[in-house]
Amino acid sequence: MTLWLLLLVPLAGAMSIFLAKAALAKWISLGVSTVVFVISLLMAVQFDVWGTSETGLVSHVSWLSQLGVTLDVGVDSVAMLLVLLTTFLTPLCVWGSFSAITARRKEYYAWLLILETAMLGVFSAQDLILFYVSFELTLVPMFFLIAIYGGANRAHASVKFFIYTFTGSLFTLAGFVYVAWQYQMSQYGVWSFAISDLAQFASTSLTASEQGWVLLALLAGFAVKIPVFPVHTWLPLAHTEAPTAGSVILAGVLLKLGTFGVYRFVLPMVPEALVAYAPAIAVLAIVGILYAALICWVQDDVKKLVAYSSVSHLGFCVLGLIALNPIGLEGAVLYMINHGLSTGALFFLIGMMYERYHTRDMNAIGGLAKKMPVWSCFMVFFVLASVGLPGLNGFVSEFMCLLGTFVATDTAAQWPGVLGPEYAAIAAIGMVLAAMYLLIMVGKVVFGKLKEPEHDGAHSLLPSDLNPREIGILVPMAALCIWIGVQPTVLTDAMRGSVEDVLSPYPRIVQEEHGAPQTPIIIEKKEQNG
Amino acid sequence: MIETVSILSKLATMPAVPSADVLHAVDLSWAGFILWMPLISLVLCGLCAAFKVKTKAPAVITIICLATSFVLTLFLWNSYTQPETIHLFDWLQIHWEEGSFVANFALYVDSLTLLWMLFVTGLGTLIAVYASEYMEHDVGKGYTRFFAGVSVFLFAMTCLVMGDNLLVLYLGWEGVGFASYWLIGYFYQKPSAVAAAKKAFIVNRIGDVGLALAIYLIWTTFGTVQYDEITTVLQSHSYDTTFGGWTVHAIPYLLMLAAFGKSAQLPLYVWLPDAMEGPTPVSALIHAATMVTAGIYLIIRTYPLFMLDEYALPTVAWVGGLTAFFAATIGMAQYDIKRIMAYSTVSQLGYMFLGLGVVTSYGAAYHVFTHAFFKAVLFLTCGAIMHGFAGQLDLRRLSGLRKMKGWKIVSYTMLVGCLCLAGFPFTSGYFSKDAILAEAFVTQGPGFQFLGWLAIFTAGLTAYYTFRVWFRVCAGPVYFEPGDELHGEDPANFHPHAPRFAINFVLVAIALGALLAALPYFMPNETEHLHGGWIAEMVNDSPASAGVPGNNSVAHAPLVEAHGTIEHNIPHGDILGMDPHKAMYYISGVVGFIGIGIALFLHLFFRSSADTLRSKLLANRATRWLPTAMENKWYVDEVYIALIRSPLWILGKFFSLFDKYIIDGALVNGVASLPRASARWFAPLHNGSLQSYAISMVGGAVLVVLLMLFMPEIVSLLKSMNSQAQNIEQVVRTVGGAQ
Repeated sequence: MTLWLLLLVPLAGAMSIFLAKAALAKWISLGVSTVVFVISLLMAVQFDVWGTSETGLVSHVSWLSQLGVTLDVGVDSVAMLLVLLTTFLTPLCVWGSFSAITARRKEYYAWLLILETAMLGVFSAQDLILFYVSFELTLVPMFFLIAIYGGANRAHASVKFFIYTFTGSLFTLAGFVYVAWQYQMSQYGVWSFAISDLAQFASTSLTASEQGWVLLALLAGFAVKIPVFPVHTWLPLAHTEAPTAGSVILAGVLLKLGTFGVYRFVLPMVPEALVAYAPAIAVLAIVGILYAALICWVQDDVKKLVAYSSVSHLGFCVLGLIALNPIGLEGAVLYMINHGLSTGALFFLIGMMYERYHTRDMNAIGGLAKKMPVWSCFMVFFVLASVGLPGLNGFVSEFMCLLGTFVATDTAAQWPGVLGPEYAAIAAIGMVLAAMYLLIMVGKVVFGKLKEPEHDGAHSLLPSDLNPREIGILVPMAALCIWIGVQPTVLTDAMRGSVEDVLSPYPRIVQEEHGAPQTPIIIEKKEQNG
Repeated sequence: MIETVSILSKLATMPAVPSADVLHAVDLSWAGFILWMPLISLVLCGLCAAFKVKTKAPAVITIICLATSFVLTLFLWNSYTQPETIHLFDWLQIHWEEGSFVANFALYVDSLTLLWMLFVTGLGTLIAVYASEYMEHDVGKGYTRFFAGVSVFLFAMTCLVMGDNLLVLYLGWEGVGFASYWLIGYFYQKPSAVAAAKKAFIVNRIGDVGLALAIYLIWTTFGTVQYDEITTVLQSHSYDTTFGGWTVHAIPYLLMLAAFGKSAQLPLYVWLPDAMEGPTPVSALIHAATMVTAGIYLIIRTYPLFMLDEYALPTVAWVGGLTAFFAATIGMAQYDIKRIMAYSTVSQLGYMFLGLGVVTSYGAAYHVFTHAFFKAVLFLTCGAIMHGFAGQLDLRRLSGLRKMKGWKIVSYTMLVGCLCLAGFPFTSGYFSKDAILAEAFVTQGPGFQFLGWLAIFTAGLTAYYTFRVWFRVCAGPVYFEPGDELHGEDPANFHPHAPRFAINFVLVAIALGALLAALPYFMPNETEHLHGGWIAEMVNDSPASAGVPGNNSVAHAPLVEAHGTIEHNIPHGDILGMDPHKAMYYISGVVGFIGIGIALFLHLFFRSSADTLRSKLLANRATRWLPTAMENKWYVDEVYIALIRSPLWILGKFFSLFDKYIIDGALVNGVASLPRASARWFAPLHNGSLQSYAISMVGGAVLVVLLMLFMPEIVSLLKSMNSQAQNIEQVVRTVGGAQ
């Protein structure tokens, strides 16, 4: 089976939606995205390079051979996990939109499917140009989803979202082109845009200052996407205005394109520059964690609160990415998946509340546990997953990211890094703040005296609790949260080879830049515990 | 048969793995059910909720499951010979070349674990029985939710106590915090309950961060988070000094932060009194008997790490001693009997930390054990009163309970609890408290003598406030006012609902337990040299054996020196010329009598004199602050709000505005408006009038001609500038190179 199947099926589905009746659009879309999920599951079973550094499911398609541009696709184990996340979330998003979207249905579901293709394209591209095209292509469906189906301020939000992220990624393109051009110069005019070639070339042949500039160019795009403080302001706006499914995809997958970009390009391409800049990036990440957390605290709009919490949470993910050791990086990849699940589910829940009450203002609504006990149970559950309660998914990744940051000192015996305990200790304050703002939110919305805004009794869903469809959306997500919390080793083992491969040049570089590590006293270990 | 023999002989010749381990590994796998039973109970309760069961089924399920846990614990204790690890499943394992982070879901069973598990599961079962009657108003409403919460709590507490590594402990640690959040907020429509639940979770989270950081440090220093491996590394003195050796000094303080949060010590105790918003069985189980002792458990479990820093244990002692005193003064001035018990819990936990600090882990563990019983019975009697008098808890509005029909058992079980808490001679509290107090005078340490006297004074205060409650509520003339939870009854025509069988049975059972808890003190020791009976035996097998009297093994030599022993002729400390252990029997007995005597005078014989005293104190300008501050809990909550919460909230508000107007407004939108602004600059050029186009054309032509004319000059000017710049660069380079 080839990845092209995965990429083309949603696209074909989108085309077929235009041919069908509007009433059928949602069913076609649900069917197609479910089929895609099943295909991806089969692929995951077939995928024979779990745990290794190999790239699997490769297929070569030549395109512009004079320029070395190809349509090669293939995934390593980290990308495969993110492909699974995408194919898992998309059908749920489609299903979740059944009641919310009543007008212009055909376009809506078609855009969702096109968005899926674009996202999968980003994760599976083995060619720089294909990556960039897919990366930018995600903007178009999202733009329309926000601009047509969004809230009151949707026009402003969608334009801002598009221009902000687009401007950022233009710098990324410039960085890519510079690397490709340099490569061409060194190869006497033979162009190549294969990611592996360019990464290999850039990491070994570019000078330190060149690497620095490339790093800044790449980060200009990826940092906006993640988003890292201070280029985060498009996110709360886009989240608040986007329709529910849009928010879920945005938080669940689109933000991960940024962190995935860091994993795929920044880490392998510009190691020397990253070692030099990592402390500065870490400071921005930590500022983002604390700053966004405090902003969350004073929000009245539930959706905005969760949107800012994404900024705060992804700070941990960034810390893990640049910790330069396997614990941190595996934690960061796990964080991408976990954040997609728990924050995605929170956006679903807020959407369900909004459909019933048409407000997200915490001062206008409260004590919903009385009226909607099932909804409240799920709300508390996913808030706890997000807060990082051990036993659920969020804990494992947060713990690993912070642990990775903590041990990433330049004196560490294996995997020296450039961060250290002080970074982790300050970032850990974010754990307290996260509990604070999320529980305050739960305290207001779920608990307390029942407070309902005035509503038109006409809406069929109004005072009722969740219906089976909505429960059906949330249950798989909750089950995954528990499974990852209990068996994280399955995932961390799966990504081990890729992660270590990406990190392999770093110990040497850190040692060169920071001097040889002190010889540590070797720990005598018991061989095996019973 | 021959095969079996050959296997056994093979095992006997395997030096690396002790044969006992191999044999037991198979035998003990059932012990996992101690952990799984509460989880099964949770799942069944969840099913009850899903099918909207309107009977007492959830209570029955929970009681059966918890009782099974207790019975299994008893079996485990019975078959106990030496510490064992029971592997359940792999949890978090990260391996790479030459290194790993391993935290399996495994149980570590030593006698310390068993000691804790015995009272956790035992009291858990009894309190579930009590709650089955206590919560009956809510059958079909919150009943299932309540018992599901109790099950979650028991599961988490079991993980905390039985886990074989710090990460499973952390799971339990946060899990009990969450269960506590769930159960404090049980009456979720009451804003004060929701606020209290939130406060408990958040304050505990501060401690949790300390624990997380401690785990990171322990892993970096010792390369493992498993208790037995930490001990091994510690004994071989081969731990990692990558960070330059400061880590071992930081670990105990971070662990302390965690312990002080969970066990409600200064400065993190503020959540516990508010936690009384939860149903009373919860207060008894979680906030008195079990969860709040997790901090003491943590420190006992990691006791050897506290020996690595000179000031770690003295800090524990000081925090414990001061908290004990401080909380007792607040408890003296409260009117809500449940809150008095809450402050009393904080105070007693302070004693336990004092015990840990003055190197008597035995005393601390013993006090945990006795306190679990007597404080549970005190809370449960408070609960019975609250249940019977429609939520009335004010000791000024209740009197003479023991003379009322149906309240005898409550009154006298409460008396048992009060006697133990006050340290009345020959009750369990008397022995356990004395073990701590005496040690404060025995062990040499900064200010330990002072702490000892402070603790003795606090013991007097304890006796006073304890009996203030009993004399007011249970003794004296019969009088009562109902509270405000009338469930539709007429307040003028109110009849108290005396407790029925389940509550009375549990009260008697736990009160008996409180009395019998004195027995372990007299049990003979199997191990040579050891003093202190059964509890000492149970603690002696744990990492905290250094704090067990009579344990003089070489591993603890420095501590034994600080402690002093009679056998080695090292000064053993004394009070008023007597051996502290002997002296304490008299001193604390006398102090207890004084406290009870004052309470008798002020709150039974001359009740009005208490009010007179208070109003006299209030009338005098110089003493007014004392009762005011005590009644207002020394304004600690207000101080926290002023110093931490408000500034942070204002900062959040400021950041929110900063984000909107500076980052998004000035920077992002500012940059975004640049293209338009520049367009506005050039827009006038395209104004459509022919003349202006002509003028710009001519102007442009002139410019071109001028450029062509002066080109050589411009070029040479540029060249000279370039060479100058190169010169400057050269100079800079040589200077830089010279350095």
